[in-house]
Amino acid sequence: MKKIVYFFIATLALASVAYAAESQIWGEMRIPNILGYGQEQSLKLGEFFTLWQGHYITTIFLGILILIPTVFGIHYLIIGPKTFSHEGKKILAFSLYSRIVHQIAAISFIVIVPTGFIMVFGSFFGGGEFVRICKDLHGVFTIPFAIVVIPMFLMWVKDMFIHLDDIKWLIIVGGYLSKVKNPVPAGRFNAGQKTWYWLATLGGIVMIATGATMFFMDFDIAMVKNITGLSQIDTLRAAAILHNLVGFAVVILFFVHIYMAVFAIKGAVQSIITGYMEEEEVKILHSSWYRKLKKQGKV
Amino acid sequence: MSEMARMKFYCDDKRCIECFACSVACAEAHELPVGISRRKVVTLFDGVEGKEISTSIACMHCTDAPCEQVCPVDCFYIREDGIVLHDKDKCIGCGYCLYACPFGAPQFPRDGAFGHKGSMDKCTMCAGGPLETNSKEERELYGQNRIAEGKVPMCAAVCSTNALLVGDAEMVSDIYRNRVASRGKNA
Repeated sequence: MKKIVYFFIATLALASVAYAAESQIWGEMRIPNILGYGQEQSLKLGEFFTLWQGHYITTIFLGILILIPTVFGIHYLIIGPKTFSHEGKKILAFSLYSRIVHQIAAISFIVIVPTGFIMVFGSFFGGGEFVRICKDLHGVFTIPFAIVVIPMFLMWVKDMFIHLDDIKWLIIVGGYLSKVKNPVPAGRFNAGQKTWYWLATLGGIVMIATGATMFFMDFDIAMVKNITGLSQIDTLRAAAILHNLVGFAVVILFFVHIYMAVFAIKGAVQSIITGYMEEEEVKILHSSWYRKLKKQGKV
Repeated sequence: MSEMARMKFYCDDKRCIECFACSVACAEAHELPVGISRRKVVTLFDGVEGKEISTSIACMHCTDAPCEQVCPVDCFYIREDGIVLHDKDKCIGCGYCLYACPFGAPQFPRDGAFGHKGSMDKCTMCAGGPLETNSKEERELYGQNRIAEGKVPMCAAVCSTNALLVGDAEMVSDIYRNRVASRGKNA
């Protein structure tokens, strides 16, 4: 406990030092930044950021927002949802601890993703107070996610390493392209869930780091400089570019995650609420895990 | 002013004597809060004989303004005379304009409990903003609208060596070209 308190004090002290230092954007660095802009030997991040933000990012996000739900709509109409008997036995899949951690992350995402979209399409909403509030919520709801991201990483990491099942799962796209209920090769988590796990945790940490960089803007932390080797303004540009690129992947898989839990597998969302999965659901969708449980005599 | 006029700033670094009059006059004229400097005087090689050089930097009112291209809420607009202005009521203070700007012109006041960035503030070339010209609201948010009153922007008006030039791009470059010609060699 003491260690944690010291850690917080040290962080706050470092942060205040970082703020108290001379401006890294409007101070001495301003002239080298102006002279370096767009020069051959520079990384041209300013021009690159202007090009991407000015021409492509909004369009790509719009594409994602239209295309992904369309694909899901077609899938739902043609193949339809999977339904499993809710009458049979139930298997405990998620402990209370993992459910609480997941729910905190879930609430954060439910606020962060739409507010992010509102900022991307800020001109559509006319800017001003509404978009400004969304920007603040986007930042505030990062705090609960930042608290649970490492516990979430640790609680599931041992089940998330790649397995032969995952390749088989990817080849048949998890069995979601057929209506037949054949056992699908997957352990406790399938390849899709694993991909989402790595992206949500590691990608999530990238999102937190780049987002915090943009929020705090004018800071001077030697460690950051040593890692990136960039001037503060280029760090901000790189953060904005990275935040959007990783953001593409995060929102795509976030939509997939919601579709799977809420629509594609009827009642699947219950398992993260109550912690219990239907036996038939485990038998079909996580067949390797089911076999293992059977061997252990847990079913 | 001709129809093709494009308003530009140019600071002649051979004349700038680092007196800070432009930045002080700007801050006073527009009643800027502490920490916001729309115009800044920068000196390089301070004290090194023959190398010391000073210049004054603010928004350069770019023709292809990158800030205007990246703004997610489209709060920027470019006047017919080329002055780049923005709407502070639309601005969400995201900072994208600063990342795009080659000159570090956009400024962000820190306010509120979380110290979040307020609406961006930058040089308006003393042309106010989108609110009613010379209204109290315009003055509070954007500062004086001297252009509407037919006056020269504050910074250039107080420049005692005429280092800071402002006006139609062609006229500014004519003046500078004449100066270079009369100096005889390398700028």
